[in-house]
Amino acid sequence: MAELTVFSYRCGKSILHKLDVRFKLFFLVLISFTVIKAEFTALFLISSALMSVLVYIRFPIMSSLKDLKYFFFLILLVFFARAFSATGSVLIEWRFIVISKQGVYEGLLVCWRLFLIVFLSLAFISTTRPSEIKAAVEWFLIPFPFIPGKRVAIMMSLIMRFMPVIYDQVKDTADAQRARCIDNKKNPIYRLIKLLIPVIRRTFEGADDLALAMEARCFSENRTDPVLSSSRKDWIVFFVVICLCIVIIKI
Amino acid sequence: MNIIEIKNLSHSFLDGTLGINGVNLSIKEGEFIVIGGQNGSGKTTLLKHLNGLLLPTKGTVLVKGVEVSRNIKKIRQMVGMVFQNADSQIVGETVYADVAFGPENLCLDRQEIEKRVSAALESVDLAQHADKSPHLLSGGEKRRLSIAGILAMEPKIIVFDEPFSSLDYPGVRQVLEQIISLHQSGHTIIITTHDIEKIITHANRLLIMEDGKVVRDGMPDKILQEAEVFGVRMPCATRMGMEVASWLS
Repeated sequence: MAELTVFSYRCGKSILHKLDVRFKLFFLVLISFTVIKAEFTALFLISSALMSVLVYIRFPIMSSLKDLKYFFFLILLVFFARAFSATGSVLIEWRFIVISKQGVYEGLLVCWRLFLIVFLSLAFISTTRPSEIKAAVEWFLIPFPFIPGKRVAIMMSLIMRFMPVIYDQVKDTADAQRARCIDNKKNPIYRLIKLLIPVIRRTFEGADDLALAMEARCFSENRTDPVLSSSRKDWIVFFVVICLCIVIIKI
Repeated sequence: MNIIEIKNLSHSFLDGTLGINGVNLSIKEGEFIVIGGQNGSGKTTLLKHLNGLLLPTKGTVLVKGVEVSRNIKKIRQMVGMVFQNADSQIVGETVYADVAFGPENLCLDRQEIEKRVSAALESVDLAQHADKSPHLLSGGEKRRLSIAGILAMEPKIIVFDEPFSSLDYPGVRQVLEQIISLHQSGHTIIITTHDIEKIITHANRLLIMEDGKVVRDGMPDKILQEAEVFGVRMPCATRMGMEVASWLS
């Protein structure tokens, strides 16, 4: 039985679910940039606000932490890279390895920022229908005549549609290989190759079938455009978010 | 009146294999046709010619008097095709978005799209799942969603390629009910399958294909006796000299 992934839209009636997707996308970009500029106190404020929002929209925080375990591994790498590379007063020194106080401080800051941006994006994804995201991207690309907005939007929607399918294929293939004792092979590269080749082949076969199915349903780039509408509520939230971002940058 | 006319249709693939070889076929409006045959007998290749996914190497295919290659968009709107693998047919990120995909391609206005999507979802009993990801549906629900995606384009003819493959018993029954109700509402139904037992009692014509040719064409009860000669399993009841019962009874 398939399950909702951390990247899935979840139905709801919160104000975040009801906001115009163009505003939400703008808020996401704006707050992400603010997070990049923010220091510890500001990050603490943003984290508290974000946590409240996640609880309010009933986002499954605990299960998402489990789903993001590989992301935490990446965050850990970023932290160590930062801790080892930054210069400053020495905290730990062992042979050629030197960790500075500044390095640890900067590492923590960068990881915290990345963590917040990922959870901001998850809050956005879980309260916005993929078709609305597609529509908003198409809308934002209208001023750029050299970018085929409709094509980009349909590509995005297909990626969102097929991410869970590919994820399932990877799981199925990995299970089938485990059933044939691939665990006995200790070489991770061998195992990765044996996993990737069938998954890629199946993905390409699926893409061929998909192209046929789309053709059968008269696919064309000249399609009915999605309807996007904003209300007073969106502008009020817009004002609040702008004020908050200014305050955070000033802290 | 013949809704589909196939005259001397042949199709060769790029590697030179002959997929279809000199098929002549007339299909009347409102017919319920089952096409049986072994894997590789040319069933799916024949279906793909009905809505222009493949074009003839030789011969012609006419739908309502219009040659398929002349107006492919109109033909694809008239002939809806439900594919064997529902997962690869579903393109929307939500159930609603998938059903809306076809009408959006037809450039209908938003109000009309909403009307058609709601009606299609109601008719396959998936309205309550409109906001769900198709990925989370069961096999039978996914197949019904594929049907809804086609229904929203309001086709006259619906072709099903192996509609019962990989479905459990309740899934088969759900899809079967759907197909029968579509036939009762006036659609012309064409189904390919290598397991004719599940559907044959509802069909009024059976075609058997072998090596790209239609080798038998007629009333199901007359042809069923010979089915196994062409690698199609005869229904158990037929083997025992009984009448084949519906899977819905």
